[in-house]
Amino acid sequence: MKTKRIILNALKNLAKYKLRSFLMMIGIVIGIVALTMVISVGLGAKNLVMERVKKFGLESLMVRAGAGSLMGQQSSPGQQITTLTLEDAEYLKHEIGSIKEIAPFNSKGNSNISYFEKSTTALLLGATPSWAYVWNWDVSDGEFITDEDMTSLNRICLIGPTVRKELFGENNPIGEQIQIGNVQFEIKGILVSKGSSPGGGDMDNRIMIPLSTFMRRVANVDYLAGIKILLNSSAGINKTSEEINSLLRERHKLADGIPDDFAVITPTEVTKMAEKIAGTFNLFLVLLAGISLITGGVVVANIMFISVNERKKEIGLRKAVGANTKDIMNQFLFESSAVTLMGGLVGIILGAVGAKILNLIMQMPISISWGSILIGVISSTIIGVIAGMQPARRAAKLQPIETLR
Amino acid sequence: MENLIIKANGLSKIYNKDANGEVAALRNVSLDIRKGELIAIMGASGSGKSTLMNLLGCLDKPSAGTLLFDDVEVSKLGDRELALLRNKKIGFVFQSYNLLARTSALENVELPLIYSDKVNISKLAKDALDAVGLADRIHHHPGELSGGQQQRVAIARALVNDPDIIFADEPTGNLDTKSSYEIITLFQKLNEEGRTIVLVTHEQDIAEHTKRIIKISDGRIVSDELNNSPKNAESELNKILKEVQNEN
Ligand SMILES: Nc1ncnc2c1ncn2[C@@H]1O[C@H](COP(=O)(O)OP(=O)(O)OP(=O)(O)O)[C@@H](O)[C@H]1O
Ligand SMILES: [Mg+2]
Repeated sequence: MKTKRIILNALKNLAKYKLRSFLMMIGIVIGIVALTMVISVGLGAKNLVMERVKKFGLESLMVRAGAGSLMGQQSSPGQQITTLTLEDAEYLKHEIGSIKEIAPFNSKGNSNISYFEKSTTALLLGATPSWAYVWNWDVSDGEFITDEDMTSLNRICLIGPTVRKELFGENNPIGEQIQIGNVQFEIKGILVSKGSSPGGGDMDNRIMIPLSTFMRRVANVDYLAGIKILLNSSAGINKTSEEINSLLRERHKLADGIPDDFAVITPTEVTKMAEKIAGTFNLFLVLLAGISLITGGVVVANIMFISVNERKKEIGLRKAVGANTKDIMNQFLFESSAVTLMGGLVGIILGAVGAKILNLIMQMPISISWGSILIGVISSTIIGVIAGMQPARRAAKLQPIETLR
Repeated sequence: MENLIIKANGLSKIYNKDANGEVAALRNVSLDIRKGELIAIMGASGSGKSTLMNLLGCLDKPSAGTLLFDDVEVSKLGDRELALLRNKKIGFVFQSYNLLARTSALENVELPLIYSDKVNISKLAKDALDAVGLADRIHHHPGELSGGQQQRVAIARALVNDPDIIFADEPTGNLDTKSSYEIITLFQKLNEEGRTIVLVTHEQDIAEHTKRIIKISDGRIVSDELNNSPKNAESELNKILKEVQNEN
């Protein structure tokens, strides 16, 4: 009852001294806006990484021809690694029990594709029918590559949504003939949209043909760019990775001391790479937000000291009419923490708006979560309590006699 | 004694003043206050009246001597108990009103109730304002009230917790004659209703409205006499009001 009245009284005091309350709030608002934005952007980046890693698959491994690189580019451009073969892929599947399915592939970046007078460039992929299952990446329209396509070296292709938009707009491309390089292919299906790759590239700007067609008719090679491997479960994934490594070294007859001519990529490595690109939690920005929040707290503490000095008479009077030391202490703590909490709430709202603006204008991924709101509420209240502590102590120590002088 | 409220024994107050050294504002003052008394404390400026009031009202601590309030030694009370004593048993009226600015009369009067265990505090505050004749001014801020009205708000604040004793340090010091009589009328009425009141005044005329006059000089009580025929402030107030009417 008494506490409730003291809280109410503290709020009335804040309303009475609007300018002072407003000045105290500003510092906190700025700090919480910064904090909320940093957290929103950080969480957004983290979510994006998670999403991208999920696309790769947590139960997946990738063997790439060439060492040292993660995704895409060979270790030294121009020098093709020719040692990873279809036989390697079949061998791994046969030898390692935890492998559920494999999807060997080859690729060629920036391939020219044209349809009448329209043309574009896209990543050309040679893939097997197992691709759809291993990558969980089927067609949204038409049909996927079949075994028959593989054995007959059919000149059919699947196009990604970006390629479809470039060449056909809204028209139905299925059954149309397009040129890849100078070979004609019939469009058999449209790939499901996958958005951005873990590396941030457009996964929809690709065109897929049967691996056999790719190897014999287009590129005329007998090696692979990589093998995507789906495991039975994510448990023991590192052991499987090592197993693959030693089997391939054996098959490639690599003596001790000679580096791998392939790389086995795990989801952990994909995560690391995606984090590097997305830039997740920027410690510097978090620090900056923290500093501005502390500065806000110092402002609050200073204004509270001024307030206590100006209100000595009021404090003495309150004591003269029956307030005890703790009542006065509470009153000033409530005043400071109510101000900072209000500042915090305003800051959370403005911070969320700011994060949304970053998202809309700069396409930054953001995430406004209950967690970040809670962090804002709690940190602003704590700042208020800490900032108000010393001024409140000073107020509480005043004697009622102060009133009379 | 059963209706004794305050028993002061050998109270002294020594202030540590700057270079001049110590000032003995009060020297060995002993005093009993009984229920229902209406006392005036008189003396020259600097004689120690306020110092004595602050000690009796438990707002300050004596340098020596003891103060029993309802048989309890005040110096032995802790912070909470002392606050409780001030809240429940003592009402204080200051010469300069000491109302909170930017705060309505009602909220000013509610102030002591905030720290009490009473419920329905705005009703109690309204009743107190009614008792001092300010029922129609409850939402006015101090700046919108005359000096006399402000002092009546202060008296309502001193009354609102239904204290055993009210201390008033020069309650009429800043007021004109008419307002002074209004305040004294109010105190006499409250005293008739059974309240114990101690007030400080410079003016002999005001003191003659009380039942007991204590004179102090240089920190000592020099006389302590009963006044068996206190003047009636209300009739004097009416006289003044009539004069004003005749002039118009
Ligand atoms: N806080 C203080 N510090 C030092 N000296 C003080 C203090 N308060 C009062 N005094 C001194 O104590 C003496 C008594 O002061 P007090 O205020 O009690 O007098 P008073 O009778 O109320 O005077 P007045 O009629 O002017 O109000 C004075 O000499 C005064 O200067
Ligand atoms: Mg005085």
